[in-house]
Amino acid sequence: MADSGSPDSEPTTRTLLRRVLDTADPSTPRRPRSARAGAQRALLETPSSRRLSSQTKTTARRRSQRIRSIGKLAHVQASGYLEEQTPRTLLKNILLTAPESSIVMPKSVVKPGPAPQVVQPSSRESSRGSLELQLPELEPPTTLAPGLLAPGRRKQRLRLSVFQEGMDKGLPLSQESRGNADASSLTSSLNLTFATPLQPQSVQRPGLARRPPTRRAVDVGAFLQDLRDTSLALAPPGESLTAPVATLPTDTVLEDTQPFSQPLVGRSPSVHHSLPCPSHSGAEDAERAVSHRTRSTGPRLQNNSPGKPAQLLAGKAEVDALAMNFPNTSSSIFGEVGVEPLQDGVGGEAEERTEKSLSMSKVKEAARARGSARAQEPEGHTQVTEAEGSQGAIETKEPEGSSGDCPTSSRRVSPELASSTPEFLQAKRIQGLEPAPPPSTAVLPSEPLEPLSARLPPRARTPGPKACQNPYKTGLSHYAKLFSFYAKMPMEKKALEMVEKCLDKYFQHLCDDLEMFAAHAGRKTVRPEDLELLMRRQGLVTDQVSLHVLVERHLPLEYRQLLIPCAFSGNSVFPAQ
Amino acid sequence: MVLSTTVSQRKHIKRKAPRGFLKRVFKRQKPHLRLETSGDLLMHLNCLLFVHRLAEESRTNACENKCGIIKKEHVLAAAKVILKKSRGMMKAKQK
Repeated sequence: MADSGSPDSEPTTRTLLRRVLDTADPSTPRRPRSARAGAQRALLETPSSRRLSSQTKTTARRRSQRIRSIGKLAHVQASGYLEEQTPRTLLKNILLTAPESSIVMPKSVVKPGPAPQVVQPSSRESSRGSLELQLPELEPPTTLAPGLLAPGRRKQRLRLSVFQEGMDKGLPLSQESRGNADASSLTSSLNLTFATPLQPQSVQRPGLARRPPTRRAVDVGAFLQDLRDTSLALAPPGESLTAPVATLPTDTVLEDTQPFSQPLVGRSPSVHHSLPCPSHSGAEDAERAVSHRTRSTGPRLQNNSPGKPAQLLAGKAEVDALAMNFPNTSSSIFGEVGVEPLQDGVGGEAEERTEKSLSMSKVKEAARARGSARAQEPEGHTQVTEAEGSQGAIETKEPEGSSGDCPTSSRRVSPELASSTPEFLQAKRIQGLEPAPPPSTAVLPSEPLEPLSARLPPRARTPGPKACQNPYKTGLSHYAKLFSFYAKMPMEKKALEMVEKCLDKYFQHLCDDLEMFAAHAGRKTVRPEDLELLMRRQGLVTDQVSLHVLVERHLPLEYRQLLIPCAFSGNSVFPAQ
Repeated sequence: MVLSTTVSQRKHIKRKAPRGFLKRVFKRQKPHLRLETSGDLLMHLNCLLFVHRLAEESRTNACENKCGIIKKEHVLAAAKVILKKSRGMMKAKQK
């Protein structure tokens, strides 16, 4: 070998083994050990001496290891050795597998064999011992080994690269292990060498490579179903006054996610030109219509089934949803009878809804006496004939029915009525609720009527309560509702009115007491201490029950946080005491 | 960490206190007085407890009369008792 005469600055296992292989006789290993051992030892000494300069520790260890290995080898040789696994082949395998590491470490390094012939039998042992696991995997590479070793060039990098190419090993791994100085790292690198082949194998075996994710076309029906589900989830929380606001974000969200809004938009404007979308913003009518259509199915179907009482707050959500949806759906259905552009689920449900709306309009007719509404009746009838059935189910849903009727019949409702309805609606909202379906239903058409204000005459409407009285009554009715909740028993309407009167008296007493307490303290501002004193006077706060306890019991968390001082990080207390 | 005197808008509190209503009521009654920020929350608490007691008393009255429905008379009788209790000792003493 050419490299035999030129020692490496850092003789590595590889170089040593290389030398061993080159110099050793290609004969069977069953030679008398003494001769070989001597040669090996001689060879071993030189590299070991060289290595001494670099790493004394390792060489010392190696020496001890060598001695040990030699002892072991004696055993091995005596016991006999398998012919197929000659030291030569083993060394070759080690050469192939061992990563390039300049510094050879004890034990595992020694076993792979800094020593040539000494190592050869030791390598056998070591290979069997530590690298035994590696040997089976090495079997396939051994075929390549001769080819790799054929160049016999000193340049380890090149050989390694060639080897790696052949072995599909990761190059960086071996290079990294080159710098490793630890036996453990060597072993780990050795172990890693067997782990890495799996990766490069994939390169050679494209079948194992990761396929790009197949993308399926979007299922329209499934998508709409998901939309409905999400709208179902979104609709219930949007109760009370937040309903109109809540619908806004859902609308926008649905608009963004609706891939089918474009085809429908073309249609919807033509349909809805006479029916500008309700309230919030008229800009996105078309999309809103579409979104409402899709959204309405969920909340409507869900809201209809429980048959909520015609509470204004609760009904408002339905009303808003229904009102907005009804004109869209009804108009879309009526306007595009011939056209079936609606998605399968949406179309079917929209038809159902229109059926309901029509039948509800019938119900509404009996319930309400509206001239304009009656004018719409024949129209409604003709359309009702289109959609039959499901009337029985709709009978129960009077609130929805009324709301449905209002939009359908309200298409030609007067703008005056529309203008008045928003005010009425506002008033109704402020009032809190009198659970009377007619007033709530009167409120219902406000939403769809608002956009119709331009062309439609105002609708006759029952006069609302006085404005000055409204807010006060609203507040009292709020507490009256709580009364009915706490009582857990059915109550008369008169009883509720009685409760409101009592509340009125109570508020007066409350304010008087607070004034007294504040004056007693020489203040003109009523502070929480006055309130606490009042409650103590009333017997609510006792020595056993403190104010904080009552606050925790009866008030929601957010108020509790505002009332009860709590320590926060940074040595701060909120609220400040 | 809550370091604000107001509740953030996005929170949907169930059983919200009608703080505006309470403030307005107090202002109407005693325009020369001022009410502190947390005072109206405690006022609301007071109202809740009052209504609670009233409801309990009314229910008791209705049950005593073996009625399934709370009637006006029950409420009236209950109100008398509870209002007397809620007045505070001062007024009771004055009476």
